[in-house]
Amino acid sequence: MAGISRRSLLKGMGTGLGALAAAGPLMNANKAFAAREKELNILCWEGYNSAQVLDPFRSKTGATVKAESLTNDPTMINRLRAGEINTWDLINVNNPWARKVMLPEKLIKPLPKAEFEPFFDKMLPSFKPPYKWAMSDDGKDLIGMAQRFGPYSFVVNTDKVSRKTAEEVGWDLFNDPALAGKYGILESDDWNVFNLFIVAGIDPFKEHTPEEMTKFDETAKRVFKGAKLIGDIASMNQALISGEIDLHLTGGTYSVSPARADGHPNLRAITPLKGPLASGKGGISWIEITSTVNNPNLSPLALEFLKYVQDPEVAHTVAFAEGTFNPVSQMGNKACFDLFTKEELDAIQWDSLEEEMARSVEYDIVPDYDKALDLMNAAKRLRG
Amino acid sequence: MADIALAHAPETAAELNRARALSAGARCALPVAILLGIGFLAPLVAILGYAFATPRSFDVFRSFTLENFATLFDPSNTVWLSFLWSCGFALATVAILAVVAYPIAYGLNVVFGRAAPLISVLFVFPLFVSENVRLYGWVLFYIKNGVLDGTLKWLGFSGGPEVLYTPGITLFGMVYTYLPFMLFPMTLGLALVPRDLVDAARDLGAGRLFIWREIELPLAMPGILIGMLLTFVLAIGATAEAKILGGQSIIVISHDIEIAFTYSQNWPLGSALAVIVTVFISGLTLFALSKLDLDRMLGRR
Repeated sequence: MAGISRRSLLKGMGTGLGALAAAGPLMNANKAFAAREKELNILCWEGYNSAQVLDPFRSKTGATVKAESLTNDPTMINRLRAGEINTWDLINVNNPWARKVMLPEKLIKPLPKAEFEPFFDKMLPSFKPPYKWAMSDDGKDLIGMAQRFGPYSFVVNTDKVSRKTAEEVGWDLFNDPALAGKYGILESDDWNVFNLFIVAGIDPFKEHTPEEMTKFDETAKRVFKGAKLIGDIASMNQALISGEIDLHLTGGTYSVSPARADGHPNLRAITPLKGPLASGKGGISWIEITSTVNNPNLSPLALEFLKYVQDPEVAHTVAFAEGTFNPVSQMGNKACFDLFTKEELDAIQWDSLEEEMARSVEYDIVPDYDKALDLMNAAKRLRG
Repeated sequence: MADIALAHAPETAAELNRARALSAGARCALPVAILLGIGFLAPLVAILGYAFATPRSFDVFRSFTLENFATLFDPSNTVWLSFLWSCGFALATVAILAVVAYPIAYGLNVVFGRAAPLISVLFVFPLFVSENVRLYGWVLFYIKNGVLDGTLKWLGFSGGPEVLYTPGITLFGMVYTYLPFMLFPMTLGLALVPRDLVDAARDLGAGRLFIWREIELPLAMPGILIGMLLTFVLAIGATAEAKILGGQSIIVISHDIEIAFTYSQNWPLGSALAVIVTVFISGLTLFALSKLDLDRMLGRR
């Protein structure tokens, strides 16, 4: 046999595989020690992963930027807990997680305060430094940057339920038997836990008594049974536009803005005038905080990127990135605000944003969330 | 050569080594075995590991508890409802598809003639489009003021039926999605029926029903049963239909597993549920296959 025999081929393959196996760890080690100047990995909510936001940064730095979007905070944080701390450079989650969970667990690291705090001066008045959610508990460290935010309670079709009625009746709309079968529920289970507590007349952000849990359970069963559908943002907007439903639980500027921008201004995010939340407030708002991951080999581009998104034009792009449209804290800067057209301001309900934020408490962690979520999942099964 | 070396007792050291080495076949299968090991077996092992880990933790292979299974088998846990919906809908899908697909399969074999390949392609064609996209298409068709409702109103009728977001439409979606998986094994099964046999039976005076019951059905049975099994296994894991068309009017078992892995962040519970479903489906499949002697059915023995 001239040239290659079956045996020599297998032998060659074996040697090759062996060499690869031996070199594998070394290659990884080389990679680990190599400077990560040209790569950046971002774990975020949708929007930051869009080409509109990332492409200019890619061409500016020549770096490989990867962004993965997920749609709930605990999943992202558990990715870090499960060992992906070495993979990611930036993490973008809702307000309480950075200060209350990720910093104490050393999943993120503080930002250079002198470099980043001045950005807060240019933000909307409520973000003036020291901004609570961007600071560590002791107020010494700056742990993240604020950008997108918004009220998030429920959405109505104002042709069917007027804004005035919705704001005045508030969460009791979902206790009204006449509206059974006319509402949907957005599949955003952490927020649904908050909102079912509120519909039951209970403040979600505290430890709950067994009686309160029983009431939560009853409310969950009733509200889920009465829902016409449960689905994602696109399904909710579609059902509202077509007239399948008149309102949906859990939603706000974040979810309804694409439909409003598409020519349906009759769909509107509502923040009730009153509710069982702290100080009798009627709704909940969220503020995203983007932090640097406690990656032993953090990419220097992480800080670059945080500065990049503060730029008025980029901030405007972030606000109107694909998927959802949201107000950004950088709108406090006139140069940024002027970039928003009248239609864009209307899509994000700028006219009532300030009062709605004032009527909302800030998203926080529910101490007995797991228990409530189990009850809610069981309630969902009883729909059929 | 290697096979011959293995045939007699090894004597020299070289022969002994050769005997210990893997056979040529095994060596050739090694790349596939490695690929399957990493891509198929490893995730299953991880799921199995997680199923016995402390609830709501990531202590895989570091902790051992039966708590997850105890939670699932707790009489107060309503997860059996999801399981029942999935099984019931999978069975209903199989039953409906068996009735719907049989005439088409028969047509493809006997009636459609030269048009049969084109008709087959038409049935395969939807598979080229993502399932979710097709299901959202059906939503637009059935939604209020959508294609059906809008057209009927335009024609002066009162509007279409309100079928969206119900368990019924979920079943419709499953029947629609899994039709090709029933149709093609069934078509192959019917192709196995020799026409001569049918003609002979007819010449001998057998009626159409008799021919169907005594000749066609038994001979096509391997294809029919494989189609049923394939459809059942796929349908029991279906989620998209219940979510997109059904608006989660029912929660299916794979959705429950998904919830455990996402919002609940209870990977061990989700894994335990996945293990139970996997054991159930594989048990059922093995049982069905043990009853299904393909060789005998194909007349090779």
